[in-house]
Amino acid sequence: MKIELKKMRHVYPTGDEALKGIDLVIEGTDPVAIIGQNGAGKTTIVKHFNGILRPTSGEVLINDENIEKCSTAQWSKEIGYVFQNPDDQLFLETVRKEFEFGPQQIGMSQKEIEDRIGWVAKLVGLEDKLDVHPFDLTSTEKKFCTIGSVIMMNPKALIFDEPTCGQDVEGNIRLRRIIEELHDRGKLCITISHDMKFVVDNFKRVIVMCKGQVLLDGKTEDVFTQTEVLKQSFVTPPPITKVAQGAGLKKTVFTTEAFIKVFEEERKK
Amino acid sequence: MAKVSNTFVPKHTVVENINPMTKILAVFSLGLGTLIFPNFWLGLFVILGLFVVAGLAKLLKEFVKIMFGFGIPITVMLIFIQGCYSPKNRTYIADFGFAKLGLEGSLYALKVVSTLLVFLGTFYIMNKTTYTGKLVAALTNSGLPPKAGYLVLASLNVVPQMQRRMSIIQEAQSARGVETGGGMLARVKAYIPLLGPVVMSSLTDAQERGMTLETRGFGITGVKQTTYVEVEKSGLDKILNMLLILFFVIVLVVTVLMKTNII
Amino acid sequence: MSNVVLEVKDFSFKYRQTKRKALKKVSFQVEEGSFLCIIGANGSGKSTLCNALVGLIPHYFVGKMAGEIRVNGINVAESSIANLSSEIGLVFQNPFNQLSYTAGTVAEELAYGLGNRGESREKMVEKVKYVAELMRIDHIIHKNPLELSGGQVQRVAFGSTFIMEPKILVLDECTTQLDPLGSEEIFDIVKNLNSKGITVIMVDHDMERVARCADRIMVLDQGEVVAIDEPKKIFGNPDIVNHHIDVPDYVKITQALREKGYTSHEIEVTEEPTVELVKEALQA
Repeated sequence: MKIELKKMRHVYPTGDEALKGIDLVIEGTDPVAIIGQNGAGKTTIVKHFNGILRPTSGEVLINDENIEKCSTAQWSKEIGYVFQNPDDQLFLETVRKEFEFGPQQIGMSQKEIEDRIGWVAKLVGLEDKLDVHPFDLTSTEKKFCTIGSVIMMNPKALIFDEPTCGQDVEGNIRLRRIIEELHDRGKLCITISHDMKFVVDNFKRVIVMCKGQVLLDGKTEDVFTQTEVLKQSFVTPPPITKVAQGAGLKKTVFTTEAFIKVFEEERKK
Repeated sequence: MAKVSNTFVPKHTVVENINPMTKILAVFSLGLGTLIFPNFWLGLFVILGLFVVAGLAKLLKEFVKIMFGFGIPITVMLIFIQGCYSPKNRTYIADFGFAKLGLEGSLYALKVVSTLLVFLGTFYIMNKTTYTGKLVAALTNSGLPPKAGYLVLASLNVVPQMQRRMSIIQEAQSARGVETGGGMLARVKAYIPLLGPVVMSSLTDAQERGMTLETRGFGITGVKQTTYVEVEKSGLDKILNMLLILFFVIVLVVTVLMKTNII
Repeated sequence: MSNVVLEVKDFSFKYRQTKRKALKKVSFQVEEGSFLCIIGANGSGKSTLCNALVGLIPHYFVGKMAGEIRVNGINVAESSIANLSSEIGLVFQNPFNQLSYTAGTVAEELAYGLGNRGESREKMVEKVKYVAELMRIDHIIHKNPLELSGGQVQRVAFGSTFIMEPKILVLDECTTQLDPLGSEEIFDIVKNLNSKGITVIMVDHDMERVARCADRIMVLDQGEVVAIDEPKKIFGNPDIVNHHIDVPDYVKITQALREKGYTSHEIEVTEEPTVELVKEALQA
C-alpha cells in the first residue's frame, strides 16, 4: 500500500486553509500515528486518503492512482475509515448485519463474508454479541463494532480517528492487539491520537501536524527526542519519556523496561 | 460548515425592530381576518400590503419568488378543481370542452388561495426578520410557560442540527461503500438507509438534552424566567398592535353584517 | 474536620433495562473544598454515580434504587434536578448534548441557566463576561454554538455549568473532545476553582492527571467501591491493577527502581518528585 500526497492543499468553503501544501508518502505496513493539536489538520488530512475530501490543489495518489478517479465508496475497498463517533456509522439491527453491510456493498461473496466474520468478531471482542442491537452495546463495544465493520471489508489500509477516546485499560489492550494483528496480515494502520502513551506503545512512525503542515515525520524515538520542535505543536512526550528527559537520561525511552535499562547504563558510568 | 440556526440574517430594517409578539399578532390578525371574510378582495389587499412590508424589510426579491412560486401553481390547481367540479357552480364563464369553468367555484378557489398566501406571507416575513433568540425572549416575557417556549425554539433548531448530522453520516456511510453521489435515484437510494441513524441519534440526543437542561435549572419552581436577549415594546409596536386588533374587529363586524345581509 | 457536603449512604441502583446492578451499596463522604477522583473500567458505574449525584437518578432514569444521597443536607430523591442545580453541577461526557439548542450565540447559551433561575439581565451580562474570559471563549461569544468545534463546545458546556456557581462540580470525562493542551487548560481552571473552595468530583481515565489533581481517589469495580484513599495509598497497593485500572507511569518507574534496590523511597505518583527521585538514584 502506498499513499502519496504531492503539494496537497485543502481550503474549506469558508476560506480557511486547513492544509498548506503537504508532501508525504506513507508506504508499507508499519503502523503510522498522526498527532497534533485540535485544528492542526489531522482529520482533514486523513479524510483525503479515501476521498471523503478532495484536494483543493496538489495531488493525492493511492498506489500511484489519482484519488479523483473514483468515489469514496469505490475507494472503500482499498482504504477503510473508522469514524470517531460510532453513532455516525452504525444503523442496522444487529452487530452481524453491521459486519455484513460493508462487504456486501463492495461485492464480497457471501462465503468470504462468513469466513471472515468469526475472526473479526473475536478480534474486536464481540463474538458473543453478534445478534445484539448495536444500540444496546456499551460505548466501548460500539466503537469496536465500527472497527469490526470496517475490518470486515478487508481493505489494505485502515484509518482510525481517535480510537482511544473514551477507552479504558482493557479497551487499549484490545486496540493494541487489533493493530498488531492487522500488521501481521499485511495491513497498513494509520491512526489519529491524542494519547501519547498509546502512540509510543503501538506505532513505529509518527507524523506531527501543526497549523496545516507536517512539522515532524519520522521514527517514533527520533520524533520524541526533538523536544524543542515538539513544543511548537504543543505535543508533550509521554510520562516515562518526560521523566527520563527530566532526569537527564541520554536516550529516549517509552517503556519502564527500557527506562530501567538506560538508567542502569548511565549509573555505571 | 453548514448554515445553522434559522434563516435570519440581520439587515437592520424597521420590520426587524418590531417586537416579535407584534409580528405573531399580525400573522393571526391578518390571517384570521382573511379567513373569516366572505370573499377574496380583503386577502388581495392584504397581500398587496405584504409586498410593501417585504420591500421595507429588504426582502422583496425572495418574497416575490416565494409568493408567486407557491401562488401560481396552487391558484391554477384550485381553480381547476373548484372551478370545474365544485357543486356550488351555477354560472359558467368558460367552456374547455371537457369541462366548464364555474364562477362560484373559481371565486371560492381565489378565496382559499388568498387566505393561504396571507398566512404564508406573514409567516415568511416574520421568520425572515426575527432573530430566534428574540422570539424566545419575547415569548418568555409574555408569560408563556417555559416548556412551551422551549418546544418552539428547539423545533426551529432541530432541522439544521439534523442536516449537519446527515452530512456527517453520509460521509461515514460512503466510507462503507455506499454510493452517495451520482444521479437523483442513486442519492435517494443512498439516503433511505441513513434516515434510521439520523432519527435514532436525534432521539437519543433529544433525550439526553432534556435531562441536561434540567441540570441547568430548567423548570426551577417559583421563579419567573428571564432572558439574556432584550426585547422592547416601542411606540410603533403599540400603534401596530392597536391597528392589528382594530383591523380584526372591523373585519369581524363587517363579516357579520354581510352574512346577515344587512349590507 | 471540615464540613461534609456530600454524603452517599448504601446507594444501589439498577437500570430498568439491564439485569445487573449498576451500583451496589456505594457509601462515601466528600468534604467541602476537596477533590475526589473516581476511576474504574468502562461499565464500572462511574457515569451512573455522577447521574445519581445530581439527581438524574431517580428523577430522570427509571430503575430500582436503594439507599440515599444528600447534597448539602438535601436528600436528592426528595428535591428536583432543577432545584439542585445551584448546589451541584454536572459537566457531561458529550458536550453537544449539553447545549440548550435555544441560543443563537455563546453568550445566550451561557446565560441560559441564569435565565431559568430568574436572574436580572445586569447580573447575567456580568457573569457571562467573567465565565467567558475564564474559559477563554470570549472571542467566540457572538458565534452560534452549533458552529463551534468540539473543543470549543466543551468549553462552552463547562462554562454553562460553572456559571450556575454550584458548590460542588461533577465532571464526567469532560475533556474527551479537547487536545492535551486544551485539557490541561481546563484542569488548571478546575484546580483553581478547587483552591477557591469549590468541591470537585471528577471521573477521568488519565491516571497521571488523576494522581496530580486528587486529594482522594475512589476505585469502582462492577458497581462497588473497592478502595477510597489518597493517591499514593491507592496506587501503592499492588493489588489495585486487578480492578481493571492502570497506575500512573511514575508509579511504574519508582516501583521498578525500588524492586531493583536503586532507591528506598516510597513510590511517587507525580512527575517532579519522580524526576528528583531518579536523579538521586543516579547519583547514589
